[in-house]
Amino acid sequence: MEKLIEILEGLNPEVDFKTCNDLVDGRHLDSLSILSLISEIESEFDVVIPTVEIIPENFNSAKKIWELIERLEEDN
Amino acid sequence: MSYFSLKYLLVFLLAIVVVYIFTPKKLKRLLLLLASYALFLKVSKKLVIYLLLSTLSIYISGLLFKKIDDKRNIKIKGVDKEKRKEIKEKYKSKKKIILICCILFNVSFLFIFKYLTFFTNIINIIFSSDIKVLKLLAPMGISFYTLSALSYLIDVYNEKQEAEKNIVKIMLYLSFFPTILEGPILKYSDVKDEFEKKSKVTYKNFCFGVQRILYGLFKKFLIADRLNMFVKLVFDNYTNYNGSTILLGALFYTILLYMEFSGTMDVVIGSAEIFDIKLPENFKQPFFSKNISEFWSRWHITLGLWFKNYIFYPVSLSKPVKKLTTFLRNKINARFSVIVMSAISLFAVWSLNGLWHGAGFTYIAFGYYHFILILLGNIFEPLIVKILNKLKISRQNKVYKFLQIIKTSFLVVLGELIFRAKDLTTAIGMLKSIFTNFNITKINFLLGMDSKDYIVLIISIIIVFIISILKEKNINVREKISEKHIVIRWIIYYALILGIIVFGAYGPGYDPVEPIYADF
Repeated sequence: MEKLIEILEGLNPEVDFKTCNDLVDGRHLDSLSILSLISEIESEFDVVIPTVEIIPENFNSAKKIWELIERLEEDN
Repeated sequence: MSYFSLKYLLVFLLAIVVVYIFTPKKLKRLLLLLASYALFLKVSKKLVIYLLLSTLSIYISGLLFKKIDDKRNIKIKGVDKEKRKEIKEKYKSKKKIILICCILFNVSFLFIFKYLTFFTNIINIIFSSDIKVLKLLAPMGISFYTLSALSYLIDVYNEKQEAEKNIVKIMLYLSFFPTILEGPILKYSDVKDEFEKKSKVTYKNFCFGVQRILYGLFKKFLIADRLNMFVKLVFDNYTNYNGSTILLGALFYTILLYMEFSGTMDVVIGSAEIFDIKLPENFKQPFFSKNISEFWSRWHITLGLWFKNYIFYPVSLSKPVKKLTTFLRNKINARFSVIVMSAISLFAVWSLNGLWHGAGFTYIAFGYYHFILILLGNIFEPLIVKILNKLKISRQNKVYKFLQIIKTSFLVVLGELIFRAKDLTTAIGMLKSIFTNFNITKINFLLGMDSKDYIVLIISIIIVFIISILKEKNINVREKISEKHIVIRWIIYYALILGIIVFGAYGPGYDPVEPIYADF
């Protein structure tokens, strides 16, 4: 989780990722940030994020993103 | 057919509302379906066959996907991980064949009706050939219902949406009369529950729906139609005017387009609201956007989402693009690889977005104009952040925000000029004139509009602006009105109706705007 927060802070230092619950809906992460995030996650955590998982519900908070990573790790 | 016509509002819609009230609960959905097909038949006659074919193709494909998924789920029970993966792959490839066939089937109709003439002309020009150009009349709303059909198909394929067993619901999903002509482009999940719930016409739904429709009529008749004459004069003979008048014409066209299209959405959403059916919003105060990307997440929202979900992310994360970006990430850096990834997918999105709006070079140029602006925004973002940090300017600074909004609106106006121009040469000529022959003191304001028109126009725009600010601040204007005393409420409604009747731009001297998005 620490690593994930670090990645997120690199994308937008102005957001408090530990508390923010509307990263996508509040436009704190735009499409380009999501692509950067996916790219970082895939290289850091050795998972593949399929297109179907790119929905606001999976990316609206650090917690949700972490849950997605854990789920994908399990699937692998 | 126009949603603003008296025939639609006072005959068709009103008749359906009355019959709906007296229809037994079980048959209400069927009534809406019959009404939708009646409207389609009235406008597109025997072309209804194409709507039926699209509907049947996605309905059957959805059921086939489900059958394959069920078989796969039985097979993978109790087997090890490796074997499970193998089985999943096997069944996925079966589904993929159906998916590709069904996409091609639906897209081919769209291509034949919308783009065949355009591409035949291009081939004739390139190869100096003389292939006969077929001019076909497209089925009503084909650009809209095809995208909805594809979204259902892909979502069921990806198991994000359960396959629908009831064909009536799928038929209604693609043909629903308020949305068939100009959207919003629906995902099945947007309306599934709405179609399933036991909805009825209540006093509140009726008032809210009518209120929303009236607001749409207000935008169309008081603003859009009033601006049309000016816009037509400038765009039809731009060489007669200086750059400043042309820029005003482009600004007026942008306002006209917004009022016409968002006004249509008010009528569409209001019509559905009367039947207690909630449709997704298509606009969210687009002229408060601080960059072009944000603008497209607030303007024609459902189209933007469709492209994002079904083109942008799938292209970005496709195997060849990923391979290339991994290579670039290792050889250059992560930032560059993501810029390349987004450039490829944005190019695909904006090529298709331009073409979706119409088979013409101005629409394609309109798409690429936005592609370049968004790409430049992505490339220069780190530099802008550095400059802002150095100057100690926060992005939350009100003056900075205001300047960003003005910049974005100006770029949007130039984009809409390309969109509206009759051909690319005209668009280039108009843009050239704006930048080389601009003199603010020589604006010709009185083109098809007199001072009275300007007074009505300015007051109307101020009203829409105030409502937009309230909405931006998450203040529900309609709820606020409904909380008022009944006398005040009805004074507002009557004022709105009278305002439209008295100050609407119709009759001699005016030229109403044709439904713009209905042609797409």
